[in-house]
Amino acid sequence: MIELLVQHPLLAALLALVGLGAVFGALLGYAAVRFRTEGNPIVEQINAILPQTQCGQCGHPGCRPYAEAIAAGEDINKCPPGGQAGIEALAQLLDREVVPLDDEHGEEKVPQVAFIREDECIGCTKCIQACPVDAILGAAKHMHTVIASECTGCDLCVEPCPVDCIDMIPQAQTLQTWHWELPDTSNRGADIIATDAGEAA
Amino acid sequence: MVEVAYALPHKQAILSVAVPEGTSALEAARRSGILDKFEGIDLDNAKLGIFGKPVSPEQALREGDRVEIYRPLLADPKEVRKARAARSRERRAGKDEE
Repeated sequence: MIELLVQHPLLAALLALVGLGAVFGALLGYAAVRFRTEGNPIVEQINAILPQTQCGQCGHPGCRPYAEAIAAGEDINKCPPGGQAGIEALAQLLDREVVPLDDEHGEEKVPQVAFIREDECIGCTKCIQACPVDAILGAAKHMHTVIASECTGCDLCVEPCPVDCIDMIPQAQTLQTWHWELPDTSNRGADIIATDAGEAA
Repeated sequence: MVEVAYALPHKQAILSVAVPEGTSALEAARRSGILDKFEGIDLDNAKLGIFGKPVSPEQALREGDRVEIYRPLLADPKEVRKARAARSRERRAGKDEE
């Protein structure tokens, strides 16, 4: 065998390359199975930035579908609950331009939670069916109660209530919801770099 | 793993509790410790449900179920509807006079 290879260097080179190819091919094939990514990772990252209100104001049935649409090229300014901060985070992630919120889809509001006025609730379950995140506890002819920690403030439950007993109230500030307000960055760059342009004029 | 939830207007809790598959809803609610968190839950007479659907206390649970302990309504649905109808009638009458 060795003798044959020594006599035919071309054959030796061919065999070596085919062997290498087979080894690396098998390695890649194994890695593809072993480290398979579920879905598109960029969709995951976009979804992590979206506020998970599942409110549908963007025109998609939830945050994940909108994340998929953004990954496919849709505008990033259709999410009012995410607000300007959300748009900036998305712009940075996707290397797109920061654009103002498209007010066709709603305005940015302070975070809210739904609250049911209990003495008016008739136990109709309409709000429970409307809630995209199972944040309302109750059953037919029993009291319905909003679980504040689950409520995303999407206000989809307000409309279906036949007795108008659901209010949207500002979210109580807790250790989980408190955040440090970012400084205003709207004129970023204007003042940071000192110039003598103003003085010269 | 199942969850047990109870809610008052200003205080709600969802507790996770590990129980074997097939445990009854009532048993899971007992084991969750929700009775210690809230005063005045009458578990034996309370209506239980899973994700908005009333079930019997003996209902066998499956992984991921959320056992909910319900409270009775405060208002009589008929009265609320009647009052509401009266209000909107008044409003309509008010508009007609204008």
